[in-house]
Amino acid sequence: MISRGISSALLDRGVAPLLLVPAVLLLVVILLGPFLYMVWTSLTDLSFALPDRDGNFLGFDNYRRLMREDAIFWHSFGLTMKFVAIVVTLEFLLGFTIALLIFRFVQRRRLVLTLLLVPMMLAPVAVGLIWKLLLQGDFGMVTYYLRLIGILDIRDALLSNADAVLPAIMLIDAWQWTPFVTLVMLAGLLSLPREPFEAAVMDGARPWQIFRDVTLPLLRPIIALVLLLRAIDAFKEFDKIFILTGGGPGTATELLSIYVYRLNFKNWDLGYGAAAAFMIYLVVLILCAVFYKAVYWREGRPRQVTS
Amino acid sequence: MGVRFNQVRKVFPDGTVALDDFSLEFETGEFVVLLGPSGSGKTTACRILAGLEEATDGAVEVDGRDVTRLPPRERGMSMVFQNYALYAHKSVFDNIAYPLKVRGTPRDQRERKVAEIATMLRIDELLRRRPRELSGGQAQRVAVARALVWDPAICLMDEPLSNLDALLRLHTRTELKRLHADLGRTFVFVTHDQEEAMTLGTRIAVMSEGRLVQFDTPRNVYRRPATRFVAEFIGRPAMNTVDGSIRSGRFRAGIIEVFADGLADGPATLGVRPEHLLVHETSGEGRIPLEVDVVELVEPDTLLFLRGEGVSFVSRMVREGGEITPKSIVHVEIPQKYRHWFDASTGARIRSGD
Amino acid sequence: MSRGWRSFAIGVLIAVLVIALIPWVWMLLTSFKSRLDALADVPVWLFKPTFEHYPTVFLDKNYLPLLWNSILVASVTTALSLLFGVPAAYVFARHDFRGKEDLFFFFLTTRMAPPISVVVPMFLLFTTFGITDTPMAVILAHSTFNLSLVVWMMRGFFADIPREIDEAALMDGHSRFGMFARVLIPLAAPGLAATAVLCFILSWNEFLYAFVLVAFEGRTLTVGIPGLVTPHGTLWGQVAAVAIVATLPIIVFSIFVQKHLVRGLTFGAVKG
Repeated sequence: MISRGISSALLDRGVAPLLLVPAVLLLVVILLGPFLYMVWTSLTDLSFALPDRDGNFLGFDNYRRLMREDAIFWHSFGLTMKFVAIVVTLEFLLGFTIALLIFRFVQRRRLVLTLLLVPMMLAPVAVGLIWKLLLQGDFGMVTYYLRLIGILDIRDALLSNADAVLPAIMLIDAWQWTPFVTLVMLAGLLSLPREPFEAAVMDGARPWQIFRDVTLPLLRPIIALVLLLRAIDAFKEFDKIFILTGGGPGTATELLSIYVYRLNFKNWDLGYGAAAAFMIYLVVLILCAVFYKAVYWREGRPRQVTS
Repeated sequence: MGVRFNQVRKVFPDGTVALDDFSLEFETGEFVVLLGPSGSGKTTACRILAGLEEATDGAVEVDGRDVTRLPPRERGMSMVFQNYALYAHKSVFDNIAYPLKVRGTPRDQRERKVAEIATMLRIDELLRRRPRELSGGQAQRVAVARALVWDPAICLMDEPLSNLDALLRLHTRTELKRLHADLGRTFVFVTHDQEEAMTLGTRIAVMSEGRLVQFDTPRNVYRRPATRFVAEFIGRPAMNTVDGSIRSGRFRAGIIEVFADGLADGPATLGVRPEHLLVHETSGEGRIPLEVDVVELVEPDTLLFLRGEGVSFVSRMVREGGEITPKSIVHVEIPQKYRHWFDASTGARIRSGD
Repeated sequence: MSRGWRSFAIGVLIAVLVIALIPWVWMLLTSFKSRLDALADVPVWLFKPTFEHYPTVFLDKNYLPLLWNSILVASVTTALSLLFGVPAAYVFARHDFRGKEDLFFFFLTTRMAPPISVVVPMFLLFTTFGITDTPMAVILAHSTFNLSLVVWMMRGFFADIPREIDEAALMDGHSRFGMFARVLIPLAAPGLAATAVLCFILSWNEFLYAFVLVAFEGRTLTVGIPGLVTPHGTLWGQVAAVAIVATLPIIVFSIFVQKHLVRGLTFGAVKG
């Protein structure tokens, strides 16, 4: 009763924003705190592996080293960029095509979508495990059929071939996330108004012209959204690679997050690791801001005052 | 002693001044209509009375008790919303019974009261339905039932008829008037429709730009509009107004010249309702020759749109106007007792004119 | 459109579905295969099923507590996120205050925050609290992204309810709290359920936080999976059994929330 009285009083007095305090407080303590600590650590030489490096202040030395001297960092950065670019493009093209096919040819979509959803709902770790099993060199089911049709050499295995492993992981990511693109693009297609299409038909446009001149422009906000969400997620990719290759062979699949993991948990070089971690955070934050601008037109409309 | 708004002011966070020094007082049992164009503050006034908005300044009293800071549940009022705001997840019965339930009425009484009000509003057949299975008119009745079922002291209605089609609106209007007569409760009704206001209200509060312009019976609002704004807002077609000036008892505006006995010299506005203009086919003393622009037959009336040098008039005649054709000249007389005079700068009624 | 095109398209879609489903189905089959069948050179599609892997791995190898931890962590995180997040979402949907949209952006960034960037300091923080290696640590970590998910999703669901409903509830005699708890929450119930299920799924599937923050006692199923993969002789039947137990409930759950899934995964920007 007391708490009910208090919450009613809160709501009545126009200080409802106070209801945000628990949520914000939790995030500040559990997330913002660690984030700030990470930023601080990135300016020190903290390491759990070496005795004398107990957090002496270095200024921007770690960042300087990262930017100028760390070839592996740039290698990882390049790999990550390549991974994001290819994976997002592939998933978008495949996912959009499948969405168009479903939109055009399937009347009862529910079952198709339910089945299609399975890959994206699986834990990424489980996805990694499933594909590790399928791609085993000696008894993997997919390995066997790839060898059967001659794509893969008899002695070769995708996950241990330095040239093939990254494309393989990209395909696995596409396997998991193409359904997401399909789902969102289909929702977009289904939400489109009829009139522009009818107008285009009356104007005498051919199907591909309608697609190019009406469908694509109308879907542009949703395309931007799906590309950005996938890019943010792909940029953070960790779980699947961790299970599948752990970054190997060599550093062939060592994306940024795997590299940061190695710096922190293999080398115990926390100061330097924090600097690298901050770079990931920075990129994600920028992508986030772009995403927010893209969806702002829907949220946070100003309140209407009526007479 | 009823309801009293005492110099209420409402400023929204975005700086909009919705009500400015708004004062209004009325008695228990009245059917008060808040009338005004959009942005006049009528809805805001209603919501402040309900307790849904808090006054920035000033006070609201009900039966002598200051309710300005009371939450809605402690004010003993109910409300019918424009879009009815029925709870989509509850049946019609549960919707109507809800205020009783929230207020702790025992189940058997709830059922009896809902049955009573449902019979009165002729929705007993609908009690088991869901809101989405109702037509607009039915949903409106359910909203009214919900607002009246627990015998609130005051029932507020915020444009409750505006989502109904024309015929249903007329019908519902009559029904609301009968409900008011039967129940004898205080109704406060917000609308921008002057015809609705004229037919429903025991008194009409005409509002403009956050202020009360006139509060009077429909008859007086029509016959003795307090300002030029009220005069033009009430009545369709709107009152004809002409800006001119008075010199030594005569008002002149273009080709118009009429007596204005007892009025001070200087600029003034003359008003006359379309239905009060006398249209003659022959010229005569005090008649103004005007060219007929358009003739509209709005059976059984005839509307004449008339033009002259610098002036235009609308006339509404009850008699057959079939013989009058466009481009012809008619002679218009403004009878003395139907002349309204307004101050040229403030728009206020000049009392001595009638 | 000709019949041929239609058949072609349907064929493509069937192929897509097969590709989407076969890997998981293969895992399912493997969980019922004997060691010999699982390691056969030529893939075995038809075999005599064995049911030994499930009891072996969950009872003998003690993976049952991991299942329990997964349920515990996902449930408590969901409850916590809803408890803190739903009132916050309501405020975002109904009230205006300075810096509102900036704060909303802050919630977005916490949802998107890369775990790898904050997990180390979070580990140190939780060590100070003395809660590392307990389910509590994972619960709190998962709350960071789930709380924001709740705020973003529920803001949309509350915004879908007309404001007049709030006001009607007040006029019907509710206090503000009564209006929120008795009228808005029931009206938002479908959205609330979908949000809860999605929270549960995201927590259940999460790996990195759980992996770093707990070593033994608080391990969840996802954390337990890599431990079964060893360089020398992985017992794939048992791995598969764990993987199936870790994924099957999620597949079932996702069917329930399918309608709201798009909305949840696009932060309310697309209504499914």
